[in-house]
Amino acid sequence: MRLAQLYEWLPDALCGVLDRLPGPVREQLEEIRVRQDRPLEVVYGTESAFVTPEGAMTDDPDAAWRPDQGLCRTLLERITRHSLYAVEEELRSGFITVSGGHRIGLAGRVVLENGSVRRLRDIAGFNVRIARERIGCSAPVMPAIVDPAARTIRHTLIVSPPQQGKTTLLRDVARAVSAGDWRHPSAAGWRGRKVGVVDERSEIAACENGVPTFDLGPRCDVLDACPKAEGMMMLIRSMSPEVIAVDEIGRPEDAAALREALHAGVRVVATAHASGIEDVLSRPVLRELAAEGLFRVYVILSRTGGRVTHRIVTAEEVLAGRLGRQAIRSGAAPRDAPSAMAPRLAAGSGAGVPRAEADAARQIPARGGNHG
Amino acid sequence: MAAGTLIGFAQAARYAARPRQIRELMHALKRLETEISYGQTPLPEALAKVGGALAEPLRRIFLRASARMAERREATAEACWTEAVETVWPDTAMRAGEKEALLRLGASLGYSDRVDQLKHVRLAMVHLEAEEAAAREEQRKYEKMCRSLGVLGAALVVILMV
Repeated sequence: MRLAQLYEWLPDALCGVLDRLPGPVREQLEEIRVRQDRPLEVVYGTESAFVTPEGAMTDDPDAAWRPDQGLCRTLLERITRHSLYAVEEELRSGFITVSGGHRIGLAGRVVLENGSVRRLRDIAGFNVRIARERIGCSAPVMPAIVDPAARTIRHTLIVSPPQQGKTTLLRDVARAVSAGDWRHPSAAGWRGRKVGVVDERSEIAACENGVPTFDLGPRCDVLDACPKAEGMMMLIRSMSPEVIAVDEIGRPEDAAALREALHAGVRVVATAHASGIEDVLSRPVLRELAAEGLFRVYVILSRTGGRVTHRIVTAEEVLAGRLGRQAIRSGAAPRDAPSAMAPRLAAGSGAGVPRAEADAARQIPARGGNHG
Repeated sequence: MAAGTLIGFAQAARYAARPRQIRELMHALKRLETEISYGQTPLPEALAKVGGALAEPLRRIFLRASARMAERREATAEACWTEAVETVWPDTAMRAGEKEALLRLGASLGYSDRVDQLKHVRLAMVHLEAEEAAAREEQRKYEKMCRSLGVLGAALVVILMV
């Protein structure tokens, strides 16, 4: 149980309170929010509540247990292993990942150097995000993203707002691809593919000393704590991946690396923060990638009543422009943008499809030669 | 007579051991500095590494602090370090000045960034350097004196008793 693993990093007083939480809450626990001298809050399922010293849920902040300065210092010392100096890089990015893949976000006073963030001090806010592994959660999605012609998967973008299970799904897709768990009728007998994972936040694989602690299947190589764009290039150069899995893309350099991967004949599964396809099309970098037709399948996650549901949108549907035009209007673009974008979208689809097909064609003979 | 001589020699040995231990402590801090700045080794491991290369009783301070940090969940690095220094201190030949330098170092240990840690380690070393100079001066003055005083004192007692 990964929660027990998490307890190693938390002060006893906090563990005591968490232990007294009602069972169902503990089962669904997603975030533990510790704020110095303010009420302890937990987020579970789709709800959140303050916690009393007895471990009961309450909406009244005054009745809640308040972690003091001593507890926050102990917590910080525990998660940094008494070595703040050794995690400066993490402090700059605002979170520390502990073993088990749990990410602890930090808030405090920022120290600047030449105008950019050097580190955090006086840390008084912690957000402990509990990582969960759901082996097999990609099963309903796999048939939609398998590419029978190329005997691999299509370029896929998993889209959802924060906290809806993007990383969990990405992790399981990586596992399924590397283990050959295709769940597609025509995929019987295919082997798994070599998967390269660029794990910038150590959340996908939760590596300890370079070895993944989550199940990522037998054919997975993980670049732990590596910047995404650089990591994708490194993998392509050195590890000959057939599929690359990467979390939370959205910067221009990510797009460049994704295009590079495409030309190298590598399939990509990525995730992005967005509430739906409309949002994807209103984010500059993602819109560009969508217009180029780079991603062939979009998986849109949403959560209702504690259950994650997904919707599949293909590139053709996006490129048909129906959704695209809507998005541009909602994205507060200049008035003349829709008509200017529409031809580009159409042109993108024309250029994108043959490229993907050429890709597939290139891969099939190579496989045949290897195995046949 | 023998007892008096021994007491004198023991006292003299303390005077000789103090600068030696201070010097060793300074070397240890130098190594700790390297572990922090280049190795970025987590503190419990860094202390164990540094302690492992030391002679008793200093070795025990480092190893004890390291072990406590690894095993006790609630304690801060400062508390572990202070406890280790306090426990082992009576077995060393060092005095209050050195102890203060170490305890002050402990207050910031592991709880600030690299630049700050190195500043504190260096500060402790400067402090120890001053103490070492004083200790050498005392050793020069008192080491021989203690030895002869022990012998002579014992002789005096013997003479008086006879």
